Amino acid sequence: MAYAYLFKYIIIGDTGVGKSCLLLQFTDKRFQPVHDLTIGVEFGARMITIDGKQIKLQIWDTAGQESFRSITRSYYRGAAGALLVYDITRRDTFNHLTTWLEDARQHSNSNMVIMLIGNKSDLESRREVKKEEGEAFAREHGLIFMETSAKTASNVEEAFINTAKEIYEKIQEGVFDINNEANGIKIGPQHAATNSSLAGGQGGQQAGGGCC
Amino acid sequence: MNFFRGVMGGQPAGPQPSGADTIQKLCDRVASSTLLEDRRDAVRALKSLSKKYRMEVGTQAMDHLIHILQTDRSDSEILGYALDTLYNIICSDEEEEPDKDKIKVLIVSLYIHVFWSDLSVYLCLLTALLKSQCAQVQGIILVSPMGVSRLMDLLADSREVIRNDGLLLLQQLTKGNAAIQKIVAFENAFERLLDIITEEGTSDGGIVVEDCLLLLLNLLKNNSSNQNFFKEGSYIQRMKPWFEVGDDNSGWSAQKVTNLHLMLQLVRVMVSPVNSPGATASCQKSMFQCGLLQQLCTILMATGVPADILTETINTVSEVIRGSQVNQDYFASVNAPSNPPRPAIVVLLMSMVNERQPFVLRCAVLYCFQCFLYKNQKGQGEIVATLLPSTIDANSISAGQLLCGGLFSADSLSNWCAAVALGHALQDNLTQKEQLLRVQLATSLGKPPVSLLQQCTNILSQGSKVQTRVGLLMLLCTWMSNCPIAVTHFLHNQENVPFLTAQISENLGEDERLVQGLCALLLGICIYYNDNSLENYTKEKLKQLIEKRIGKENFVEKLGFITKHELYSRAAQKPQPAFSTPEHMLFDHEFTKLVKELEGFITKAVHKSSEEDKKEEEVKKTLEQHDSIVTQYKELIREQDSQINELKEQVSLLSSQKDQMQSAITQQLSQIQQHKDQYNILKLKLGKDSGQSDGGQQVNGLQLEELTLLREELEELRRQHTLLNTQLTDKDKLISSLVSTATYSPAQSVKY
Ligand SMILES: Nc1nc2c(ncn2[C@@H]2O[C@H](COP(=O)(O)OP(=O)(O)OP(=O)(O)O)[C@@H](O)[C@H]2O)c(=O)[nH]1
Ligand SMILES: [Mg+2]
Repeated sequence: MAYAYLFKYIIIGDTGVGKSCLLLQFTDKRFQPVHDLTIGVEFGARMITIDGKQIKLQIWDTAGQESFRSITRSYYRGAAGALLVYDITRRDTFNHLTTWLEDARQHSNSNMVIMLIGNKSDLESRREVKKEEGEAFAREHGLIFMETSAKTASNVEEAFINTAKEIYEKIQEGVFDINNEANGIKIGPQHAATNSSLAGGQGGQQAGGGCC
Repeated sequence: MNFFRGVMGGQPAGPQPSGADTIQKLCDRVASSTLLEDRRDAVRALKSLSKKYRMEVGTQAMDHLIHILQTDRSDSEILGYALDTLYNIICSDEEEEPDKDKIKVLIVSLYIHVFWSDLSVYLCLLTALLKSQCAQVQGIILVSPMGVSRLMDLLADSREVIRNDGLLLLQQLTKGNAAIQKIVAFENAFERLLDIITEEGTSDGGIVVEDCLLLLLNLLKNNSSNQNFFKEGSYIQRMKPWFEVGDDNSGWSAQKVTNLHLMLQLVRVMVSPVNSPGATASCQKSMFQCGLLQQLCTILMATGVPADILTETINTVSEVIRGSQVNQDYFASVNAPSNPPRPAIVVLLMSMVNERQPFVLRCAVLYCFQCFLYKNQKGQGEIVATLLPSTIDANSISAGQLLCGGLFSADSLSNWCAAVALGHALQDNLTQKEQLLRVQLATSLGKPPVSLLQQCTNILSQGSKVQTRVGLLMLLCTWMSNCPIAVTHFLHNQENVPFLTAQISENLGEDERLVQGLCALLLGICIYYNDNSLENYTKEKLKQLIEKRIGKENFVEKLGFITKHELYSRAAQKPQPAFSTPEHMLFDHEFTKLVKELEGFITKAVHKSSEEDKKEEEVKKTLEQHDSIVTQYKELIREQDSQINELKEQVSLLSSQKDQMQSAITQQLSQIQQHKDQYNILKLKLGKDSGQSDGGQQVNGLQLEELTLLREELEELRRQHTLLNTQLTDKDKLISSLVSTATYSPAQSVKY
C-alpha cells in the first residue's frame, strides 16, 4: 500500500511496563497477559491516516532490561518518535523517567517527538502514580502525555496517532529535514517525485500496486 | 597497556643478540624483497618469533607489519600472518583465551595506525579480525556507542572502494548475531542494499551484487523481526524485477548464476516452512500480488535456463505456493508454452519420472508437487480425478497417468517418487482415499483389470528393490490410515495378510529391517482402522494372528525399526526432500508425521488383551446406549415444547374470545337496565294518568299493548343473559384447566 510518509518510532521504558503489549494492541488488537520478556528489539508496523494522508508507522519495541541498554541505544538516532512508557502501578518505573529521558535526549536527534505514557490505567485500585504527576512531568520536560491501557485498548490508538500528528505538524512547519532519512522520516513513493534527491535509476514505480 | 609500553615508549632492555639480529634480518626481507612468497615467509617467521620476543618484534617490526597490511592486503595469507603477529605482540602468551580488552586495544591501535592514512586498509583489517575473533569483536562493536550505525554509514560512502569494503565488513559483522542484524536493518540497510543491487544491474551486476545479496541473507535468515520489517517495508515487491529474464537464456556468466541463486534463496528465506505460518502466508500473498510468483513461473517454463537455477527456481516456487490456496490455484493454471499447451504440473511430473533427469531436479519436482497439494483439497481432488474412469481423457497425458507410469516403471527412484507424490494427493483427505479405490488398471491383454490397490500389493510381493517397496508401503499406509473401507479392500485379498505376517516374522538382514517395520505398521493400521466387517479379519482375529505367528514383543520391536532408522530423523526435520544420494531416498516428511502419530496407538492396540478390548467395547456400547437414551429424551422434550406452545396459543385465543363475550354481556346488561328504566318510567306514568282522567283509558290501552311488548322483550333478554352466563362459566373452566396444563408441563419435562 502506498503511503505519504513513513515514521520510525521506538518504544522505551522499564521492563514490564507494557511496551510490547502496547505494540501488540496497536498492530494486532490483542492483549498478551503473560510477560514475554523482549530480547533486544522487536519490530512491528501499521498504517494510519492523518489529515487524509496514509502514514506508515514502523515501530521498534525495545527491551527494558538494563543489560540490553547499549543495544537499544543504537535505535535512538534513527527514530522520529518515541513512546516513553511507565507503569502507573509501579512508582519506581515513574522515578526512572529522568534517566530514560536523559538517555533519549543524548542519543536521539533533537527533533524527536516524545510521548510520555502512563500505562495500565485499568488497574485503578493499584495506582501508585497520580495522573497529575504524569501531567506535571510531561509539562516540565515538554512531552505529550497520555494514560493508556494495553489491556482494554483505552487510548492506545490515540497514543500512537497523536505522536504521529505532532511529527506531521513539525514537518508542515519545516522543522524536520525530511530529506535526511536518518531522522526517521521517509516520504512515500508518490511524493518522492517532487523531491528529486539522488534517487538514481530506481526502475520506476512498482507496477500493479503491491500489498501491505 | 603492555602494547604501548612495549611498542611506543619502552626501550628494548638488552635484547639477546641472536633474536634481535634475526628479527632485523627478517624485517629487512619484509621491507626489500620484491617477491610476495619471500615476504610471506619472512612475516611467517616473524609471527613464530613474536611470542618469545614480543618486545623486540613489537619495536622492530611494527612499521613493516603495518606497511604489509597496506600493500599486500590482496593476499589473505600474508595478511593473516601479519595480524597474528600484531595480535601476539599485544596479548601475552600465558593467556590462551584472548580477552576483550586486548582485542579492543588491537582495534584501537589499528585505528590509530591505519584509519587516517587508509580507511580501506582499516576496514580490511577489521574484517580480518572479525573473521578470526568473531563473537568478541561483535561484542565490542555492539556496545561501543553508535558503533554499528557508524559502520552502516560506509554503505552510503561516495567512494566505491570504501562502500565495497564496508559491505565485506558488514557481512562478517552480521554473521550469527541477531542484535547487530536488527540494528543494521534499522539503519536502512534494506533500502541501501536494494538500491545498490539495482544500480549495479541486478543479476547482471558483478561481485558487488553478490556481496549485497550475501549481506541481505545474513540479515534475514532466521530473523523474524527483520523479515517482518522487510515485508512491511514493501521490499518484496522490489525483488520482482530481479527475475525478469529474457527469452534467450543461453550463455549466462558464472556470476549471474551465483547472483540468481542467492536471489532465489532470499525469496525462500521469506516463505520458509520453518517460519511462523502467519508470516509465511502474508509473504506468499505479497509475492502473488506483486507478480513475483508469476515471474518465477516464467523462469520455470523458459528455455535455456541452467539446470541448477531451474532446480532452485522449482524449490522456490514450491515454497511460495505451499499451503496458500490462491497461489496453488494460480500454479495449477500455469501452462507450458508447448503445442498443444500442457499444464506446468504435467510437464514437471514428466521430469520426475524420467530417469535421465538430474537427481536434484527430480527431488525438486517432487517437492513442488507436495507443496502444491499441501492443505489443498481441491488440488488433491483434481489429481485423483485424472485417474478415475469417468474423467480420463485419452487424448492428453495427465498427472494421474504419469504417476501410475512412475509407480510401476522399472526405475525404483520413479517408483518411490510416484508413490510419495500419490500419497500426498491422499493426505488428510478421506474422500480421495475412497475415490482412489475405484481406480482399475488394465494389465496384460485378455486378463481382467486389477485395482490400483491390488496392483501395489502385487508389486510388493514380487520382491522388487527396497526403495520401490518402501515407497509402495508408505503409499499403502497413508492410503489406509483413517480409512476403514480401504482397510477392508486390502484385507479382502486373502494373500495380503499372510504376506505381511511372513515379512514381519522372518529373520531378515539389515537391508530388510525398514521394510519389516513398514509391514508391521501396515498390519497395525489394518487393526487400528478395522471396522470388523470381514469375518476372518476382525480386530480380534488379527491380534490373535500376531500373537501366534509373530509374537507381540517381536511385532512391536519390528514396528520400532522405522523410527530407529538412521535416515528417519533427517526426513522428520523439514518438508523438503533433500537426500545426499538417490539411495538415501527412503523417507517422506509427511509420512514421518504419520508414523509418529500411529506408533503409540498401534502399540497400545496390540498390547491390549481381548478382555480389555471387550470391556472397551462394552463401555462404548453403554455410552452409545446412553447417547440414544439422551436423544430420546431430547426428542420427547422437544415434542412437549411444541405442545406447550400450541396450548399457549389456544389459551390466548380463548381468553381474547372470553374478553369479547364479556364486553358483549356488559353491553346487553346495560341495555336491559335501560329497558327496565323505561319500563318503570312508563309504569309511573301509567299510574298517574289513570288517576287523573277517564279519557286516559284509550291512551292506557295503547300503553298496555306496548307494555306487553316490552315485557316480552325483557323476557327474551333475560333468557339470553342466562345463556351467556352459562357459556361464560364453561369458557372460564376451560381456561383454568388449560392454564394448569401449561404450567405443569414444563415441570414434567424437567423431571425426565
Ligand atoms: N492490567 C494490565 N496489564 C498490562 C498492561 N500492559 C501490560 N500489562 C502486563 O504487564 C506485563 C508486562 O508487559 P510487557 O508488554 O511484556 O512488558 P515490556 O515493557 O515489553 O517488558 P520488557 O520487554 O521486559 O521491556 C505483562 O504481564 C502484561 O500482561 C495493561 O495495560 N494493563
Ligand atoms: Mg517487551
